[in-house]
Amino acid sequence: MKTFTIIPHTADVRLRIEADSLEKLFVSSLKGMNRILNKEYEKYLDKHPILEEVSVTSYDKTSLLIDFLSEILTRSHMHKAIFHTIDHFGIEGNSLHAHLLGAPVDKFTEDIKAVTYHEAEVKKNDKGEYETTIVFDI
Amino acid sequence: MSIDKSNFKKINAYTWQIPQTFRSDMRVPAIIFASEKMLDDILQDRSIEQLINVTTLPGIRKAALVMPDAHEGYGFPIGGVAATSFPNGAISPGGIGYDINCGVKLLKSDLEASSLNHHQGLLARRLYEEIPSGVGHGGRLTLIEKRLDEVLVKGAAWIVDNGYGEKEDIHFIESEGCLDNADPQAVSDHAKKRGKDQLGTLGAGNHFVEVDVIDEIFDETIASTFGLSLNQVVVLIHTGSRGLGHQVATDYIRIMNQSMTKYGINVPDRELACAPLSSPEGTAYFNAMAASANFAFANRELIAWEVRKVFKEMFGERLSTLYDVAHNIAKIEEHVINEKKRSRKKVIVHRKGATRAFGPNSPELIDEYSLTGQPVLIPGSMGTASYVLAGTTEAMELSFGSCCHGAGRTLSRHAAKAQISGKKLKIDLEEQGIFIQAGSISDLAEEAPLAYKNIHDVVDVVDKVGIAKKVARLRPAVVVKG
Repeated sequence: MKTFTIIPHTADVRLRIEADSLEKLFVSSLKGMNRILNKEYEKYLDKHPILEEVSVTSYDKTSLLIDFLSEILTRSHMHKAIFHTIDHFGIEGNSLHAHLLGAPVDKFTEDIKAVTYHEAEVKKNDKGEYETTIVFDI
Repeated sequence: MSIDKSNFKKINAYTWQIPQTFRSDMRVPAIIFASEKMLDDILQDRSIEQLINVTTLPGIRKAALVMPDAHEGYGFPIGGVAATSFPNGAISPGGIGYDINCGVKLLKSDLEASSLNHHQGLLARRLYEEIPSGVGHGGRLTLIEKRLDEVLVKGAAWIVDNGYGEKEDIHFIESEGCLDNADPQAVSDHAKKRGKDQLGTLGAGNHFVEVDVIDEIFDETIASTFGLSLNQVVVLIHTGSRGLGHQVATDYIRIMNQSMTKYGINVPDRELACAPLSSPEGTAYFNAMAASANFAFANRELIAWEVRKVFKEMFGERLSTLYDVAHNIAKIEEHVINEKKRSRKKVIVHRKGATRAFGPNSPELIDEYSLTGQPVLIPGSMGTASYVLAGTTEAMELSFGSCCHGAGRTLSRHAAKAQISGKKLKIDLEEQGIFIQAGSISDLAEEAPLAYKNIHDVVDVVDKVGIAKKVARLRPAVVVKG
């Protein structure tokens, strides 16, 4: 089930994400970012020659999500790759640790400069699901 | 908090003020330079709310300002200017933006418009071939860390020293293409890895190289001093510090978000995260920002070399630099803060989507421009026009020596694409004599003129307010985009 929606805006791109757990919110956010980076990113799903390890500590859950995506965006730019699979994923308090599997891509379809804190707020909605908006500077 | 026109005090036809009393956390008033119609448009997004947030920065002096090309940004609105006290006032990476030292360089030729006849298509293709552009495309140089560190310290001079630029150019770049507080040690390994193969590359989005023809001169005397004349062919280069600068901004916004409590700072928006300039975090950011700015000066100088190669090959023509200006940067400058005392104080001027516009007799200007004020380069959208303006004495009084930086978007990329196809846009522009070469024709529509504010209106406002003076208008003939 698709748990993110891409919302066009004046000078950027926004993602709206909902998920029934915090971990799934992070995973869906990554999928959304990858879809913006490369519209056809699913075709790389069976390729995963790159393994990266990521550890992030932030001061709250919202910052943890933004800092996590920023870290992966950086590595995507450095390796010219999409990191599509999260392995050994654990969130504890305001820290996380993850192994990422990725594949080099022919090109990015969008130049995401940065993942911003603008409008981001990880919270539980009336349905008891986690949700947030994420704005990408392009 | 809802904001409408009743909250503004009209200072004159093009200047509006929100008094400090509007919100309890404001430390200074907010000032908007815009016509009444533009103000109505600006109120459609959160630019004004963001400007009010800027007035809460620790150490802010006089007022937070926004230019007529304002639109919603992150932390600061695009078009925002703020000065904080030196050395203990705040420095905020959000006041510079993710594209550190995004800016514009203008190259002058001795060619007249007729020289381009029947050559525009080929010129567009050759420029596109020589200037790497698009997302994730590396340039002609891949630098080991030691060489990259040299670029971060020396800026545009590194390009000249290594045979890719012209020595005379350095004199005609803001700060001579080098901010001397740059410190490569303050730039993360991640940022260096993102930037190591990006020198001489344009990137994507609204960045471009454009061949223009001067189609109107507004001030003959200043134009003559600038070496500009009617029908002259010139080249505009619009790009910045690429992934290296994006990463520096990302790194330090995160660092400052985590360190603000240590300094007792509370801001209404995480993207306004800041630290005192004199703090270890503030100093490290300022020095990393300077290193990124130097990378951007070097980037535009190398792209100028690529442009020159094509002009020499096609026209046997040598190009000289009018000026190279930053529009996303923070600098320590001296300005009059207290109108009664009239003495100049050191302040940290943040310009985010705003161009330095120093007027005549400013001590920082080179002799060639000391009587006219500095050249101010305002790129428009690809189907309209760009402008050369001159800085003014009024800008020193009203806007910390700053003016607008471009047209400013009004439509999302998606909305622009829904209104016109890239293919049709390319054909329409060719019928108007504007030849486009772009990495993706379908994505070209994202940058269609209809997605931007009217550049003529924006420039008219800064001219009428007096913070810059119109000198020349440029009509695009060839546009190269990533």
